[in-house]
Amino acid sequence: MNLISSLSLTAGALNAQKTRLDVVAQNIANAQTTLGPDGRPYQRRVVSFETELLRVGGTPLQGVRVSGITADPTPGQSVYDPQHPQANREGYVEMPNVHLAYEMVDLMTASRAYEANLSVVKNARQMAMRALEIGR
Amino acid sequence: MSLLGPIGHSPAASLISRLPGANRDDAPLGPVKLPGVTAAPTPAVNEPGGFGSVFEQLVSSVDAKQDEAQALTRDVLLGQNDQLHQSMIAMQEAGVAFQLMVEVRNKVVESYQELMRMPV
Repeated sequence: MNLISSLSLTAGALNAQKTRLDVVAQNIANAQTTLGPDGRPYQRRVVSFETELLRVGGTPLQGVRVSGITADPTPGQSVYDPQHPQANREGYVEMPNVHLAYEMVDLMTASRAYEANLSVVKNARQMAMRALEIGR
Repeated sequence: MSLLGPIGHSPAASLISRLPGANRDDAPLGPVKLPGVTAAPTPAVNEPGGFGSVFEQLVSSVDAKQDEAQALTRDVLLGQNDQLHQSMIAMQEAGVAFQLMVEVRNKVVESYQELMRMPV
């Protein structure tokens, strides 16, 4: 029994946006991390989505899922700080390529997209409940 | 002296007593058998395809939905899963399914009461 068929699709979208929010959180948290597990400064991660083909009760629908989390290869800023343990011979430290402005924009986009999908859930439920009110 | 006399002894009463069904012994106590009309076989309630089994399936799938929602919510509460929305969506779905079941039940009860009110 699948009463609200669009919900499995929306659940995928919510998952994807939540992953994006997690990645933004990771980027912001590591905005000053100069030493990653590979010995290099942190590289900001970017989430990309891909279409997921779903079949909900005979109707082919296109859902969404996270296709991958990739590192942004842009070089980070070099800051002159000779006391820093990761400073090179000239006294420069390579900082992560995280820009807070970009991350904030990503955060807002993810949060608004999440909200949009939540209102789909809300409306789908309301439509089902309205349909059940026919019998009253 | 009675003017009419006892009814049983009047000629009209003897005519009436000769009609079929007028005596207590002739009264049809069981169902009236009409020639050429046979009673429809009464289907068993839980026979597959009957209303009982359909409703049973509905109830069990609503129950399965409630179980699923409960399991997801428990996972979220125990920290095994952080998909809060999936738990909420499952709960909403279970709620809608339950509401559908209640509406079907209300309709069945309503039509039963409608039948019982029918003047015979």
